[in-house]
Formats: sequence, structure tokens, C-alpha cells
Amino acid sequence: MTGAYFWRRVGYALLTLFVIMTLNFVIFRVMPGDPVSLILSPDFTPEVRQLLRERYGLDKPLWTQYLLYLKSMITFDFGRSFTTRQPVLGELLARLPNTLMLLGTSFVINVVVGVVLGIAMATRQGSRLETGVTGVSLFLNAMPSFFIGLLLLLTFGYFWPIFPIRGTMSVPPPTGFWPTVIDRIYHLVLPVTAVSLSGYGSWYLYTRNNVVGALGQDYVLTARAKGLTKREVLYRHAFRSVLPPIVTLIFLSLPGLITGAVITESIFSLYGIGRYLIDATLQQDYPVVQASFFVIALAVLICNLLADLVYGLVDPRIRLR
Amino acid sequence: MAQLVVENLKMYYHTRNGQVRAVDDISFTLEAGRALGVVGESGCGKSSLGLTLLRLLPSNGRVVGGSVRLGSDELMAMEEEAFRKGVRWKRLAMVFQGAMNALNPVLTVGSQIAEAILAHEKATKEEAVERAKKLLEMVGINPARYSHYPHEFSGGMKQRAVIAMALACNPEVVIADEPTTALDVMVQAQVLKAISDLRQRLGLSMILVSHDLSVVAQTCDDVAVMYAGKIVEYGPVEEVLVNPKHPYTQGLTQAFPDIRAERAPIVSIPGTPPNLLSPPSGCRFHPRCPLADARCAAEEPVLEEKGAPGHRVACHYVSKSGEVAEVKFA
Repeated sequence: MTGAYFWRRVGYALLTLFVIMTLNFVIFRVMPGDPVSLILSPDFTPEVRQLLRERYGLDKPLWTQYLLYLKSMITFDFGRSFTTRQPVLGELLARLPNTLMLLGTSFVINVVVGVVLGIAMATRQGSRLETGVTGVSLFLNAMPSFFIGLLLLLTFGYFWPIFPIRGTMSVPPPTGFWPTVIDRIYHLVLPVTAVSLSGYGSWYLYTRNNVVGALGQDYVLTARAKGLTKREVLYRHAFRSVLPPIVTLIFLSLPGLITGAVITESIFSLYGIGRYLIDATLQQDYPVVQASFFVIALAVLICNLLADLVYGLVDPRIRLR
Repeated sequence: MAQLVVENLKMYYHTRNGQVRAVDDISFTLEAGRALGVVGESGCGKSSLGLTLLRLLPSNGRVVGGSVRLGSDELMAMEEEAFRKGVRWKRLAMVFQGAMNALNPVLTVGSQIAEAILAHEKATKEEAVERAKKLLEMVGINPARYSHYPHEFSGGMKQRAVIAMALACNPEVVIADEPTTALDVMVQAQVLKAISDLRQRLGLSMILVSHDLSVVAQTCDDVAVMYAGKIVEYGPVEEVLVNPKHPYTQGLTQAFPDIRAERAPIVSIPGTPPNLLSPPSGCRFHPRCPLADARCAAEEPVLEEKGAPGHRVACHYVSKSGEVAEVKFA
């Protein structure tokens, strides 16, 4: 990989970020309603109203507001929430670990289960086992995660109450390191299962189809002719050649997890970023929504950039370009 | 000394519509150090023959009869693991059509040669790398290109690398399946020269599968002409190509323009190769043969020596003494 390649990618990413930030500014300016009227009761006198407008910088010309906005976004100064009056950044950071734990765990499970199962089934294409696994995976993949989540809650939280139905930890929380860890895991079982059941399918199908395609390639026939073992043919030749698109997909799908967070955290009443975004939107808490949009956009861009760079590492044909 | 003896080999593909008799009762003997060309139209079973010998058939392909002996070993009866370890590539290697896709695009060319050595011999990684570099050098590729990827090679270089790969374990017999197809004529000539030189130097026996008579004429000692899963004519290459006896072989040679002869229209064989699901009765060529009569449709001709020594042909219209009826394709 050359430096030029790297810097060009970074340049594109920065340009995109700038465009997104601008759109993010415009959206909230063209939306109906004055922010001031949202945080205040209409009974305030015009003097107070004017004071508040000055305080929030809304009396300045639009382009000054725009520059101030850019500056605060870049410095991660997202202001205070309308509803809680707390700094937005702090609220986001407080919720981040819960979201990461939920999504990180289920994402790793999704990818590992999907890819391993996909490779295993690709070699058994057409067998009864493979037909069964593919059928079940397609079915689960087509089911929305909230539906699976609700079914799990109903079954294992209500009819057969072995798992908690809400929250990320017991109230009051247990003391000591290991009890805390176990308590956390206990609370994560149902949400992680829900996300994994509905999410591993696409990884499974993608891997299986690509490996099946690779197994039909001439170079796999060559590898078999060379007298390599089945394992070597499968992993060193067939799977290695489909690794680049899978790695890319891993990075490209990371941002999509945020949508998953919104839904899953709402259903399982978890204290995370997804639910924060939903609540903020419903309460028209603009600073929070704006900050969330910015953070999501930033995450998407970083992941895309990483996907581009890592693809160059795993696929020799991409290098030097 | 006979190196590879194939007797009455039959390999059928089992499909939803029935059996496809791709290799149907084929016998030939490959002497040590000689090269046998297998020619025929697309779909006549010549590539299936190569895959059968290496036991690399797709799951619906079954050997239903016959034997293949390499030295004193019966290949078709061996355990799969013993065959993989002891025969595949070690004694019986294959040159695939490398210009296309025979090399894995995400692995270096050199490592793909070295892994063949490591799969069969007790060599350290370093020794295998050293030998792979020597092999590259032998086919005229700078050993420094060991760690380059296939996309950095030209078509001719890829093909030569594939040849080097086939020679990695000093095999007794090399099967080359269309080794020069998809290469332009100049590169094709270079690759063929490389194959001939190596064959002389290493005393290799070779089976060269091709649809191109001129390639076989240039490289081989003997030729087997295949039609619809069967060998219809077999013999020394000059004998068969100069005095073709079977109407099909005559048709093939007539379809080739002679660069030194007077300009004549190219004659092609009318019709299409038969469907191997239900091949024609009697002589399989009879529906396309201008000589065919009731006997050809009813009775299958035997491949037997007629006229010149070693020249075998399966046709009712070739007399015992090897006299040939002249064939004119309309």
C-alpha cells in the first residue's frame, strides 16, 4: 500500500464528513419550530426570550452560527441536552459501554458462527444437513430482531422466568468484581441471543455462497490435483480467496449495528446509546439528536476508511492503486 | 517399458437425465518417455479422461469399469488417502490451462509451487522455497519473482509457472490439459517449446489433451483421436496425421488449412457431436459419416490394427490391410 493511496482515502473521508456536517446543520435549521420555543414555556416575556436567543447564539447571522457549529462539532462540544441539562458528550460516554458490550458481543458471535458454519456447509452442499441449516438460517435471517427479542422475553422472561426482562444489571447491583461480571452476562444473554439469532444468517449465507463459488474455481481443482488435504484446499485456497470481501463486509456492517442498538435497547430497556437516540428524537432534544447523527456519521466514515485500507492488505490485487 | 496402462476404462457422469458416458471403454498404453496426444472436439470426453486418471471427478462422476496401472500400482483401486499422498502430483501431475485461472489470485506464485513440494516430501520450508525458485528458473522465469502474485505475470509466464508447478515433485507422468489454449500464437509456440525441451531433459512421459491437431503434431509421439467418449483412431503421430484412416480423423485433418498447399476451401464436418446421454447405436460417428450404411448403425466397429504397425482404427470401411475409403464431406 502506498502513502498516496492512504492519503487519498483519508482525503475523501474528510470531504464526506464535511458535507455530512453541513447537511446536519441545514436539517435542523429547516425543521419547523424554534428551538427556544421548545425549551421554554410560551409564557415568557419577549425580553427573556430575546436573552435566551442570544445565549444560544440564535441571534447571530446564519453563517456565523454555521462556523460556530462546525467548531463545536470538531471539538466534540455538543452542548447540553434540552431535557436533562447535562452535557451531551458525557451522557453519550456514560451509555457507550453498555451499547458496546451488547453489540460487540453479538457482532463477534454473528460473524464467527456465520463464517464457520458457512465454510462447513459449503463443503456439504446439497446434503440434508446443509439444506436444513440453510433453511433455518434463511428463516431466522428474515425474522426481525425485535420479533425474536419479544418471543425470547415472553418465553424466558415471563412464562419461564429464568432471565431478567430488563436492564443491564440487577438493582441493587452486586458487590465484588466477579459477581458484577456474572450479573452483567446474565442480563446480556437474552438481548445478545436475539441479535445473534437474527443476524448470523446473512454472514452464513454470504460465506457459504462465496466458498461454494470458490470451490468451483480452477485454482481449487489445481490445489486438489496437487494432492493437498481437504483441509488445506478448503482453508488455504477456497476460504483464503473469499477472505477479502468478508473482511470488507465486517467493517462496512459495523455502523449498521447502531440501528440494531436502537431496536434491541428499546425492547430490553437497556441503558445505551440506541435508546438515548430514540428518547431524544421523541422529546425533540435537538442537541442530542444532532450529536448522535454526527457520531454515527463519523463511525460510518471511519469504518469505510478501515474497510478500504484493510482490503488493500488482504487482497494483493488492490495494492499500489 | 509401459509406464501407464489404461484398459477398458469407463467413467460415467450420473445426471438427473441419465448416465453421460464421457469415457467409454478406453484403452491405451503410454510408454516411458513418450508423449501421447489426445485430440477431439469439445465434449468428446478428453478432459474427463485426464480428471479420471487423477481421480478428481466431480461427485457425480464414477469410474464404472476398467483399470489404470501406473508402474505396478492399480490406481483406481487405491485408498483415497494413499492415492492423494503417494500418486497425485508425486507420480502423476497435471498442467492446467494456466493462462486463465489455475493459479490462486491471492497467493504468491512461488508459494503455490512450494506447497506442492511440502505436501509430498519431507522438506523444510526453506528447501521447498529454494526448489520452487529453481523450478521457476528452469522454465525461464526470474526466481526473484517467487513472491509475486499471478496478476503480476503475463499469460505466457503464468502458463510456464503452472508447468514448473507440475514438475515440482519429479512426476513420472504429466497430463497437460489444453496447456496452450487462450494464449496467442507466439506465446503458444514458446510454451510448447518449453514443454518439449523439459520433456527431453527430464525424460518425462506426457499425455497432452488438446483440440488442436497442430499442437499435438508438434509435441507428441503418438496420438489418440477421441469421438463421443471412445478412441476411434490411435497410432504414431506422423502415421495417423499423414494417413488418417477413420472418416472422422480425415474430417479433422481436412478442416485444417495447410499453409504450404494451394488455397482450398476449409471443409468442416457437418452436424454436431452427439449427446453422450444417448449416444448413437453402432459406430457413434455414423449419423455424421458420409460412408455410413446399415451395418454402421447396427454394429460397433472394434479398434484394431489395420495396415501400418501400431496404427489402430475403429471403422468398418477400413479393410484389414488398411485400405481406406476416400471421404468427402459435403
